[in-house]
Amino acid sequence: MNGMWLHRKIEENTGLLIFGILFVSAIGGLVQLLPILEQDSLETAAGNTRPYSAIELTGRDIYIREGCSVCHSQQIRPLIAEVERYGPYSRAGEFVYDRPFLWGSKRTGPDLHRIGGKYTDDWHRIHLLDPRAVVPGSIMPAYPWLARREASAAGDITAKMRGLRRLGHPYTDAEIAGAEAELEDLLEIDALIAYLQMLGTGLGGEDGQ
Amino acid sequence: MEAVSNKVYHDTVVIRLIQFSVIWALLAMLGGVWLAAELIWPGLDFGQYWLSFGRLRPLHTNGVIFGFGVSALMATAFYSVQRTSHVPLFLPRLAWFCCYAWQLVVLLGGLSLLAGYNTSKEYAELEWPFDIAIAIVWVCFGVVFFGTIAMRRIRPIYISNWFYGALIIVIAMLHIVNSLALPVSPTQSYSLFAGAQDAIVQWWYGHNAVGFLLTGGFLGMLYYFLPKHAGRPIWSYRLSVLAFWAFVYSYIWAGPHHLHYNSVPEWVQSLGMVMSVVLLAPSWATMVNGIMTVSTAWEKLRTDPALKFIVLSLAFYGLATFEGPMMSIRSVNVVSHFTDWTIGHVHSGALGWNAMITYGTFYFMAPRLVGGELYSSRLANLHFWLALAGTMLYIVAMWAAGVSQGLLWLSVDDIGELSFDFKDIMASMVPYYLLRLVAGLIFLAGTFLMAYNLYMTVRGRPARRAVPPAVAPAFGVSR
Amino acid sequence: MSTNIYSFLLLRSLYQPLAAFGELSRGDPAPLAIFFRYSLWLLLLPPIFALIGGANFGWRLGAEQPLVLPLAELWLISAGYFMILAFGLVSTALISRWMAVTYAANASLGRHLALVTIVGEPLAVASVAHLFPDVLVQVLVLIPTMIWSMSLLYRGLPVVLETSPERGMLMASSLVAWLLVAAVSLLGLSMGLWVMGIGPLLGV
Repeated sequence: MNGMWLHRKIEENTGLLIFGILFVSAIGGLVQLLPILEQDSLETAAGNTRPYSAIELTGRDIYIREGCSVCHSQQIRPLIAEVERYGPYSRAGEFVYDRPFLWGSKRTGPDLHRIGGKYTDDWHRIHLLDPRAVVPGSIMPAYPWLARREASAAGDITAKMRGLRRLGHPYTDAEIAGAEAELEDLLEIDALIAYLQMLGTGLGGEDGQ
Repeated sequence: MEAVSNKVYHDTVVIRLIQFSVIWALLAMLGGVWLAAELIWPGLDFGQYWLSFGRLRPLHTNGVIFGFGVSALMATAFYSVQRTSHVPLFLPRLAWFCCYAWQLVVLLGGLSLLAGYNTSKEYAELEWPFDIAIAIVWVCFGVVFFGTIAMRRIRPIYISNWFYGALIIVIAMLHIVNSLALPVSPTQSYSLFAGAQDAIVQWWYGHNAVGFLLTGGFLGMLYYFLPKHAGRPIWSYRLSVLAFWAFVYSYIWAGPHHLHYNSVPEWVQSLGMVMSVVLLAPSWATMVNGIMTVSTAWEKLRTDPALKFIVLSLAFYGLATFEGPMMSIRSVNVVSHFTDWTIGHVHSGALGWNAMITYGTFYFMAPRLVGGELYSSRLANLHFWLALAGTMLYIVAMWAAGVSQGLLWLSVDDIGELSFDFKDIMASMVPYYLLRLVAGLIFLAGTFLMAYNLYMTVRGRPARRAVPPAVAPAFGVSR
Repeated sequence: MSTNIYSFLLLRSLYQPLAAFGELSRGDPAPLAIFFRYSLWLLLLPPIFALIGGANFGWRLGAEQPLVLPLAELWLISAGYFMILAFGLVSTALISRWMAVTYAANASLGRHLALVTIVGEPLAVASVAHLFPDVLVQVLVLIPTMIWSMSLLYRGLPVVLETSPERGMLMASSLVAWLLVAAVSLLGLSMGLWVMGIGPLLGV
C-alpha cells in the first residue's frame, strides 16, 4: 500500500520523524493563533478601560500570588442567568491591560468580574480577614497576613510599571515616578481591595455600570 | 559495531526516576487530599499563607503532572527507547543530569509556588527562571532520547517512540510560546500577550499539555508496555499509524473549547468544538487497539497483577476521551463549565488513566529491573481494587456536584428571576466534597501500598545487567 | 433448569447472588421471558419510587427550598426514567453479547440479560431511597450499592458466561467502560435538553 510505503520512510528516519511531528502539530496552532494575535479588536480598550494604577496593579499581583483565580472566575458569559447574577457580560476590550488574563476555569466561589462597587471597602476588609463573619457557610480561606504586610513590599512597583510600559501600557513618567509614594502607608489588603473595587468598571457608557 | 552490542543498558537511572516519581505521587496526592479537606473545613490552613488553598492547589497539580507524571515518562522513555533501539542510552551522563535537574526544578518550583511566585497560568504556574530551567532540561531529555534513536541498531523506529517523540517536541513548542514573558524581577514577569489573546495562547498550551503529556506521553507507555506485558504485538499496526498522525494533527486545535461563551471570537470557539469532537476518533482507535491486543493475551492476567491496571486504565481512557469531546459541545459546556464536573473529568483522566497505567508499568518494571520477583502480588491486587473504588467514587461525586452546580446556577423561575443564591449552592456541596475526600483517601492508600511493595521489591538489589539482544539481519541498520 | 427460575432469580439473586449465577450457567433462559418475568419488575421500581418521593417531598438538590414539580411533569419524568433504564439494560445486554465472541464467552442473550439484571438488582432495590429525594440520601445509599453491583459484575460474569476468570475480568472491564460512557452520555444529553428548554427552566 502506498501510504504505508511513505510511512516506512518516516519511521526509519529520525530527522524525518521529528520534522513530521513538528510540522503536523504546528498547523492547528498557526491557523488559530496567528489571526487572533493579529486581530486589532482584541487589543482595543473598551469604554473607560484604563491601565491599572500603582495601587491596583499591586493588588492585582497579590490576587495572583494568593491564587484567587483558582476559585474565582473573571468572565461573565452572555447568558441570562449570568448577567442577572453578576452583571453585564464581559467584553474582550475590557481585558487589554490584563497580563496575564485572569478569567479562571472554576467557580468554587462566585465570579468577580463585576465585583467592583458592589460591596463597601469595610465589607471586603472583614470578608478577607474572616469570610464567615459576613458570609455564613462560606468555604473561602481567611487571609490574615494581608493586613500585616506593607503594600510596598509586594514587589518593586517602579520596575513593574516600567516593564508594562515596554509592553505598551500607556503609563506616563509622572505616574511611574509617583508610584512608590502612592503605596506609602498602605497595607497589602488595601491594595487588594482597591483592585477588587475597580474590577469590571471599565465598561462605562451604554451598558450600565 | 560489535563493541556496542556488548554494552549494558543504563537502567540505574530508570530505577532512580521511578523512585522519584513514586515519592512525588505520594506527596502530590497527599496535597490533593489536604485540598479536598480544606474545601470542607477552610480552617485547615491554620492561617498559614503556605497552606492556603490558592497556593497549595498549583503545587498539587504541578506535583502530579511534572513530579509524578514527567518522572514516570522519563523513566519509561529511557527504559523503552533502549530496548526498542537495541542500544544503551546516548550520553548516559546527560540522562543522569535530566533525572536530578528535573527533580530539583520540581522541588524548588513547588516551594516557589508556596512562596507565591505564580504566573496564574494553569499548568504553567512556575515563574520565568523555572521556565528557562525546564526548557534546558527538556532539550537535554530530547538529546538523550533522539540521540539513542539515531544510534539504534534496528531499522524501524518503534511506535512507542513516536509518541514519546511527539511528547518531547510538542511540549517544547508549547512551553516556549506560552511562557513568553517580560521579567520585571527575579520572581515576577508579565505575559507578552494580554487579555483575550493571552487566554487563547494559554489554552492552546493548557489543553495540549494535557494532550501531549498526559495523553500522548502515556500512550507511548501503553504502546511499549502493553504488548510487552501481553507478550504479543500490537493488534493493528495500520490503525496505530493512522491514530498517531490523526492525534498529532487534531489535538492541537481543541484548546478554545475551554473558552466557550467567553470573550473570544466565535469562530475560534466553534473550530475548537468541532476539532474536539473529531478527536474522539483517534483516541478511541487507540483504545480499541489496546483492548484487542490484551484480549488475545488473557492468560497473562493469571500471573501478572500489573496487567489488570493497564486493562482498567484503558476503560478510563475510553471514558475520559469520550467525556472530553462531549463536554466541549457548546450546549453541554454551557452547563458544565466552571463546575466541579471539570475537576471530575480531569481526575477520570489523571487517576483512572495516567496513574493506573503508570502503576501497572511500575509493577512490571520494578522486578525486571532488579532481576527478582514482585514482593507481593496480593498487595498489588488489593491496590488494584482500592484504585478502582477510589476513582469511581471520585468521578461519581464530581458528576453529582457538577451537574447540580450547573443546574442550580442557571435555574430561573417563571418570571425569569434566579431561583437560587450562590451562597446556598456553595454550601450544599459539602456532601459531595466529603465523598471526594473519602475517594482521595482510598486512592492515596492504594498508592502507599504500591510504594511499600515496590520498595520491598528493589530494596538492596542493584540493577540487573541487561544487554541488547541480537537484531535479525532483515531489520538491522546498515551503516 | 428449573421452571421457576424467574422467581428464583427475583428473590434469591439478592441475598444469594453466587447461587443465582451458578443456576444461570446451567441453562439458556429465553430472553423475552427473562425480560418480562424478571427484569421488567425491577425496572419499574426506581421510577415508581421517584414518582412517589417527588410528589410528596419535592426534589432536594441541596439548596434551601425543595423543587416541587406538578404531578403531570413528574409522571413524564418517571416515564422517561423508565425508558432510559430499559434502554440501558437492553443495550448493555446486547453489547455484552456482542463482546462475547472476543472473550470466548457464552453468547446466549437470555444469560446476558439475566446477568445484567442481577448486577443491577441491588441498585433497583436501593432506589427505595428515591422515596425521599434528598441528594445526600441518594448519594449515601446508592454509591455503596453501586460498588456492590460492580463487584457482582466482576464475580458473576465468568460464572454465568462460562469463560475463564481472566477473560471475565477483561470483559467486565470493557463493560464498565461502556457503562461509564453511557452514564456520561446521559448527563450530556440531559444538559443538551435543558439548554434546549426541555426540563428545568435555565437562564441561558
